[in-house]
Amino acid sequence: MLENEEKIVEKAQNGDNDALATLVNEYHDRIYHLGLSMLKQEQDAEDMLQETFLTLVEKIQQFKGNSSIYTWLYRIATNIALKKLKSKPRKYPHIPIDEPDFKKIHEEETKEEMEFDFEKVNNYKFRKILNDLLDELPPKYKTVFILRDLHDLSTRETAKILDLTESNTKVRLFRARNYLKEKLEQLKSEELMA
Amino acid sequence: MSKEKKMFEKVCEYLGCDLDSEPCQELQEHLHKCPQCEVFIDEIKNTVKLYKKADECEDTPKSVSKKLFATLDLDKPDEDKQEED
Repeated sequence: MLENEEKIVEKAQNGDNDALATLVNEYHDRIYHLGLSMLKQEQDAEDMLQETFLTLVEKIQQFKGNSSIYTWLYRIATNIALKKLKSKPRKYPHIPIDEPDFKKIHEEETKEEMEFDFEKVNNYKFRKILNDLLDELPPKYKTVFILRDLHDLSTRETAKILDLTESNTKVRLFRARNYLKEKLEQLKSEELMA
Repeated sequence: MSKEKKMFEKVCEYLGCDLDSEPCQELQEHLHKCPQCEVFIDEIKNTVKLYKKADECEDTPKSVSKKLFATLDLDKPDEDKQEED
C-alpha cells in the first residue's frame, strides 16, 4: 500500500493525473499478475489490465473509500476476468461438495506422505501440469484460490471482492485446495509427475 | 454432536483459513496424536506452497506497461522514466 494513499486517491478523484499515474504504477503489476493467473494467456491478461485501469479512470469518483483502493481494483479486475472466462464456456469436472471423509482417513493405516519436489516448478512441463489442473477448477473455486493463496489477500478481502460471506470463502478455498491436492496425488500415483 | 465430528469441522475450518496461522490448541493436540490428519494437512499445505512457487512471476513486461500508460494518456512516474533512460 502506498504511503498517504488516501490523499493520493482523493487527488486522483479531483482530476490530478500525477496521482492517478501513481496509483496505476503502484498496482498494475499485481493486476497483470492476476490476469495471468486467471486467464493464462498474455494477451488476455493485457486486455484485462487495460480494461481494469480504464474503469479506474472512468469511475474513480465513485470510489467511496469503504475498502482499500487495491481491493476495489481487484474487484474490478476479477469481474472482468470472470466475464472473459464465461465467454469461453467449457465443461468443468464435478467438485465434491462434501467434506473429506475424515472418518475414513482415520480408519486408514497411515499412508506415506506425498513427496513434493519444489524445484520441479522450474520445469516447463511440470508448470503446465500445475496450470492445467488449476484451470480444471470451476471459476468460483479457482478465483478464491488465486486471490487467497497466490495473491495473499485475506479471507475478508476475498469475500468482499467476490461478494461472498467469509464462511463461503473458506469453504470454497478448502474445496479448491483439496481438489488440487487430490489431483496431484492421483498424478503422482499415475507416475505422470516423474 | 460427537467430539470426533466437532474435530473434523475444526480441521476443515482450519484448512480454509491461513495455513500458517496457529491452529487452536485442541486441534494441535489432535494432530500430535493423529498421523493421518497430520499427513493430510501437510499435503494440503505443500500443494499451496507448490502453486505459490509456480506462480512467482516477474513484473509486467515494459511494453505492456508502456502501452497501458499510453492508453490512459498518463505520464509514467519518474522512476520508470529513469530506468528507461
